[in-house]
Amino acid sequence: MTTAAQSISRTPAKPFYFNTSAHLLRITTQKANTLTELLEALHVCPDDSIFQHTFRTLQEHHFIREGFSNDFAHWVLSACNEPGLAEQLASVDVREFTSIGELRERFIQIVEKHLQLHPADGARMADETFYFCASDIVVMPTNFVAETMRGFAKGLREVSVHSIHHHFIEARLRLKLMSNDFSQWLHEDVGLTDTARALNRIDIYTATLEDVRGQMVRAVERALT
Amino acid sequence: MKLVKPQTATHERGESLLSAPPQPLPQERRKVPRTWETPPAPVPAPHLDEYRTIVGMGEIDELRFLARELKGKTVKMVNSTAVGGGVAEMLNRLVPLLGELEVPAHWDVITGGNDFFEVTKAFHNALHGAEYELTKSAQEIYLAYNDQNRQRMQFTEDMVVIHDPQPAVLITSRKEKDTPARWVWRCHIDLSNPNPQVWGFLRPFIEKYDAAIVSSQSFARPLSIPQYLFYPCIDPLSEKNKELDESIVQKVCDEFGVDRSRPILTQVSRFDRLKDPVGVVQAFKLARKYVDCQLVLAGGGASDDPEGALVLKEVKEAAGDDPDIIILDLPPWCALEINALQRVSTIVVQKSIKEGFGLTVTEALWKGKPTIAGAVGGIPNQIIHKLTGMLVHSVEGCAYQIRYLLTHPEFRRTTGPEWPRTR
Repeated sequence: MTTAAQSISRTPAKPFYFNTSAHLLRITTQKANTLTELLEALHVCPDDSIFQHTFRTLQEHHFIREGFSNDFAHWVLSACNEPGLAEQLASVDVREFTSIGELRERFIQIVEKHLQLHPADGARMADETFYFCASDIVVMPTNFVAETMRGFAKGLREVSVHSIHHHFIEARLRLKLMSNDFSQWLHEDVGLTDTARALNRIDIYTATLEDVRGQMVRAVERALT
Repeated sequence: MKLVKPQTATHERGESLLSAPPQPLPQERRKVPRTWETPPAPVPAPHLDEYRTIVGMGEIDELRFLARELKGKTVKMVNSTAVGGGVAEMLNRLVPLLGELEVPAHWDVITGGNDFFEVTKAFHNALHGAEYELTKSAQEIYLAYNDQNRQRMQFTEDMVVIHDPQPAVLITSRKEKDTPARWVWRCHIDLSNPNPQVWGFLRPFIEKYDAAIVSSQSFARPLSIPQYLFYPCIDPLSEKNKELDESIVQKVCDEFGVDRSRPILTQVSRFDRLKDPVGVVQAFKLARKYVDCQLVLAGGGASDDPEGALVLKEVKEAAGDDPDIIILDLPPWCALEINALQRVSTIVVQKSIKEGFGLTVTEALWKGKPTIAGAVGGIPNQIIHKLTGMLVHSVEGCAYQIRYLLTHPEFRRTTGPEWPRTR
C-alpha cells in the first residue's frame, strides 16, 4: 500500500510523454445492405475498418453517454431492426481485445450464430446501407511531458480528448495488454498500482470522454493528497 | 400523449378554437428592422488561440503540429458564391485560420451569368435526385462559363480545392507536367441518389481529381479516386454562434416582433424547396391545433441561387395572413440576428428533404436547443434520434415532434449532446 506522502514525493522512473493521434476517414468500397452482406464484409474488410467502427466510433461520439458502443450494433438496431442481435454486438467491449483480429473474429461469431438460428434474417434488406470506412492515423507528440505526478495530473487535465483516447482506449492494441498507457506508467514507473487499477476500471461506455478525463484526474489527485 | 390546451390556438382556416378570439397583434410587429438596410462593418476573424476556451489548448497545439508538416504549402479554394450559404460561411473562417497556421490559402469565386446559375441550380437539384433533362444547351452553358473562369484564374498553388459541382470543370486547367499540385473535389451536397444524366456528365471530370471529399459516407459514389469523409463545421466564435448578451437577444425579438412569452419554433435556411419551408409552415399549423406557438422562418438568398425569390413567394402564400408566422428575408450580414433568434427559440427545426449537412442543425445543437430535423442526407450523422434531437420523415412527423417537445419540457431539457462548454 502506498502512502500519500510517498505518492507526492515519488519520482517516476521515466517521464510520461503525452502523445495524440489524428485520423483521416476514408470511405472504402465495402458496404452491406443485409446481415449476410455484413457478415461477408466483416470477413474481408481491412483491419482499419474494424478499428474505425469500434475503437474510433467511441472517439467520434465522445460527447454522449449511451447509444454508440460500436457502429455495427447501431446499424443492426436502427437499419435492420434486430434488437437481439444488436444487444449482442453492443456487448462486445473493446477493452477485452488486444488485437483487431480477435475483435473481428468476435463480431463474425456473433453474426454467424444469429444467422444460423435465424436464416431468414440474412437476406432481409436494411433500411439504410452500412458503409465501411477506415482510418488513416497520424500519431504525434504533444507539449505535455509529465516528470512528476503533479505534471501528470496537469497533462491529464489539459491534453485533448484525442490524446485521452489514444492513451486510454487505443493503447491496448499497442500494448497487447488489458490495460492502458496511463495505468501501465502508474504501475511500472511510479509504483501506484492501486491508482493504476482505479483508472483501468473507468467505464468508457457510460461516460463521455470528458467524464473519463474527470474521473482519471480525480483518481490521480486522490493519490496526491 | 398529452395535449395542452392552447392559449390562442386556431385551426388552419384561422378560426378560433376557443371562445375567445386570438388577440390582434400590434401593428409594429412586422416593422422592418434597421439591420435589413445597412451592412455592419465586417468583424475580424478570431485568432486560433482564441478557440482554446472552446476546445482546449491541447487541440490547438495538435493543429499547429499537423500544420508544421505543411508549412509554406499553398492552397487555393474555389467555390461559386462569396456570401450566402454554408460553403461561403465556412471558407470565410477557414481561409484566415489556414493562413495563421502558415499554410497560405487563397479563395476565388467563379463568376457567371444568370443562365449559368440557372443551369448549376438545376444541376444541384438533379444531383439531389430531382428529375431533369440534361440538354446540349445546358452542357454548353456550364462548360463555357467554367472555361471562362479557367482562363481568368491561375492555379499555381500546391493544392487546389474545388467546392461543389458549379466549378468542377476547372480541373481541366490541371497541367501535370507544370505543377505537382494536388486537386481535390469537395462536394457538400447529398449525392446518394443523383440524377443519372447529370452525374454521368460530371463523373468523368470528377475522376480527374486526386480525391473527393463528401459529408456523409452515404454520398460516396463508385469512383476511381479515393473518397474521404469530412464533416463540415461551424465557428463557435462567429457572430452567428458566439454567446450573446440578453439585451441583444431582446432587441432582436423586439425588432422582429417575436413574443418571448410564448413558445417559438424557428427554421433558419435559405428559401430553397429542398429545405422544405412550406412543409415547416404546414407542420406548424398542424401542431398549433393543440399547442400554442409561433413560427419564425428566417433566411435569405445566395448569389448562386436564382430560385430564392420564387420559393419565398410560395412560403408567404402558404403562411397566408397568419400573425404567428414571422417570415424574415434577411441579408447575409444578419448573423447576429440569426444567432439571437436561435438562442431565443424553444425548438429549432430543419425539415430539409435533401441536405448535404445541416450547418443550422449544428448551430442549434451547439446552442443546446432541442432540434427537429429531416432524416435525410448528412443530418443522421448530426442527430441521434431521441438522444441528441429528433429525426422526422414527414410533415406529420414534424408536427408530432413539435407537440411532443412543447408538452414535455423535461425531455427538452435532457435531449442534446453533452458538450464540454468551455475548457
